[in-house]
Amino acid sequence: MALGALRAGVKVVAGYPGTPSSETIAFLLAKKPEGVHVEWSTNEKVALEIAAGAAWAGQRSLTTMKMSGLNVAYDSLISIAYSGVNGGMVVYVADDPGVSAGMAEQDSRGFALMADLPMLEPATPAETYRLSQAAFELSQRTGSPVFLRLVTAVAHSHAGLEVEENPPPPPELPILLERDIQRYTKAGAAICMAQHHDLIARLEKAEEVIREMSLNVLHLAPDAGGVGIIACGAAAAYLEEGFEHLAKLGVSPESLSVLRLSSVHPLPRQEVASLFGHCSALLVLEELEPLVERELIVEARRLGYSGRIIGKMEGPFNRIGEYGVRQVVEGVAVAAGLACPKDLLRGLAAEERAAARPITVCAGCPHRGTYLALNRAIRLLKLKKDEVMVTGDIGCTILGMNPPFHTVWNEVSMGASLGIAQGYLAAGLKTPVIATIGDSTFFHAGLPALINAVQHQAPLTLIILDNGWTAMTGMQVNPGTAEAFQRPGWQRLDLATLVPAMGVQQFFQVDPYDLKTTTETMVQALALHGVKVILARRECSIQSKRRGLRFRRVRVLEEKCTLCKLCITTTGCPALSIGEKAVLIDPAVCVGCSLCAQVCPAKAIEKEEIG
Amino acid sequence: MNNETTQPFDIYLVGVGGQGVLTIGEILSEAALAQEIPANFYPTKGMAQRGGFVKAQLRLGRQASGANIPERSADLVIAMERSEGLKAVRFIKLGGDFIVWDHVWAPTAVMLEQAPYPTLEHLSEQVHGAGGRFHDLHPHDLPKGLSENIFVLGVALNNTALGRLLQPELVRAKIEERWPEAAAKNADAFRRGLEVYR
Repeated sequence: MALGALRAGVKVVAGYPGTPSSETIAFLLAKKPEGVHVEWSTNEKVALEIAAGAAWAGQRSLTTMKMSGLNVAYDSLISIAYSGVNGGMVVYVADDPGVSAGMAEQDSRGFALMADLPMLEPATPAETYRLSQAAFELSQRTGSPVFLRLVTAVAHSHAGLEVEENPPPPPELPILLERDIQRYTKAGAAICMAQHHDLIARLEKAEEVIREMSLNVLHLAPDAGGVGIIACGAAAAYLEEGFEHLAKLGVSPESLSVLRLSSVHPLPRQEVASLFGHCSALLVLEELEPLVERELIVEARRLGYSGRIIGKMEGPFNRIGEYGVRQVVEGVAVAAGLACPKDLLRGLAAEERAAARPITVCAGCPHRGTYLALNRAIRLLKLKKDEVMVTGDIGCTILGMNPPFHTVWNEVSMGASLGIAQGYLAAGLKTPVIATIGDSTFFHAGLPALINAVQHQAPLTLIILDNGWTAMTGMQVNPGTAEAFQRPGWQRLDLATLVPAMGVQQFFQVDPYDLKTTTETMVQALALHGVKVILARRECSIQSKRRGLRFRRVRVLEEKCTLCKLCITTTGCPALSIGEKAVLIDPAVCVGCSLCAQVCPAKAIEKEEIG
Repeated sequence: MNNETTQPFDIYLVGVGGQGVLTIGEILSEAALAQEIPANFYPTKGMAQRGGFVKAQLRLGRQASGANIPERSADLVIAMERSEGLKAVRFIKLGGDFIVWDHVWAPTAVMLEQAPYPTLEHLSEQVHGAGGRFHDLHPHDLPKGLSENIFVLGVALNNTALGRLLQPELVRAKIEERWPEAAAKNADAFRRGLEVYR
């Protein structure tokens, strides 16, 4: 994706981290290509607007995000779609069928339909490199932003492919300054409807350009009357392998017609019409929603095609999860009216007895201290945990939902902890309402929600778990990351200055490695009226450990350890295990946060300050 | 090597974050590409930095392939943790090799004896039930301080068809390239793996 964009002459790249889309910008930031502006923006909407501004100025731009991020950016995208662009603009969005990263199984192709924007989707890493370049060309030739959609299986695949070495810096293009309110504003019905007209015209043009560029590959079987397959995106990568199995079932691959669909939207109607004219039944292979399938049904009605269209609406497939070889084989079998062995490519399910492995925060994670303190504070206030609403947010902080903490109740979207908390208060909940959020998430979408709480004086307690990095997605720099890790010329924003400046009068800062003070501060804050914000600040232990930082030497005094295991049950720290005589601390994993020592009732864990 | 004649070979890897599961896949991918064998490596680490379920799929010898190995299709499964090995059983093909490094990485609930944990016999029965060839390796057979993933890599090359596809010498060179400072130790772990006959 990144190399294709460089090859296409991209000049501005902006995005927000989100699995599985993060690697494109991570790669470009590390590569530092000459003449290319690359940044992690505060959120996806900002990133998309930066890309759009650059494209309006006549430059080629790329914005990257996961599907949830597209929801954030979509407000601007709809409007930008109406205006069109001057330089080629590509919106890279990554979906996650099969949910390997933990979010909704959203099918972002629906956004392309709703925005009337073209969307391309590759089946393999090699195709990604090609389509990344094609997307820029398509955008440039149509004046429309173009989506490039990947799914996790493609976005996270590593494969060898031929690339042109060292793409040249982006061409020096004049910076366009076009004053045209008919195009760049939505001031009035006439303007909006004229833009809507242009938008539809651009999409129609895209269908022609896509055909000229041969982005979709149609192969018609020598003989008419067989099964036709329309394979979309990642599903197309499994065709050849599926054909090997089909040959064993007596279906000759030569009898099958295939349309490999790279342009999810618009549907290439000419090629579809060819399939209608040639095939007795059609199979649609597409993960998640039956979008192409529905469009085919509409086309079939329009053109009077009466063959069966096999997929999710009529057919064996499910809207949940990934596709693979099995769907190719089963789908063709159904379309051809053949029986498919029930156990074909179905293995022995043995995972039922695998031990549950709920994930928790890393050894030395500062969030451990924050959640331990919060649980203690709730107890000290003589409240029950199931009476105190603790809303959660996106990122590592959500691990407060898991054992041993069981602190956080819910997870919605970036910044939602604050809004949901205010909703519980508005509903009339009398017990304390606490919102928890990480630093990057707070910058991303927590700011407006906190402003809302301040204006309406919603009596919530916000805990910002500030570990200084956008950690969950792989340690990206965010506006609050320490000065030393910002790039030259950038300015860090300090949450300790920012939050009080937002009108928060009850502001506290704690070190979550100090369990006692953190707990006391929470008890104090929870008893106050109005908006309270606690900044629990300590750097992510993965990052500090990478730099060789250790905080304390911690060791178990064997003679004192009673093997009560409270350190393990309370902290859940992965560095702790049960030995024969005493609890063991794995020195390779321990960073010396000493939270285990702070919870040990027998004082059997000794901590020694270093330096 | 003429990749037109390369038989496809699929490897399914499972374990726990921190065991070097993904590293095995990366080294094998690099070795394959160096031999001009097409490779697609698809790691899945979920949300876990460490201590969570990790899987990876390496597909060798197909010019263009989807990233996911179909069930009942893996020529080789490498499980670096006993319980996680159960999650790979559905992917082993008839007659495929299933190597388990019999490490027990107990989740907290298991450590506290609040949750059950599968026996090695149970895993072995499941693998046999699925038609796989079971090879168990035991942590006490490897001197402390040597990398278990490198050892297992050696075992896989010596005991499965993988050794006919990838040149062990090239794999060894890729390991050395990756950790030049630990070359001797890793060479030792790798050699010990290559000397295991199952």
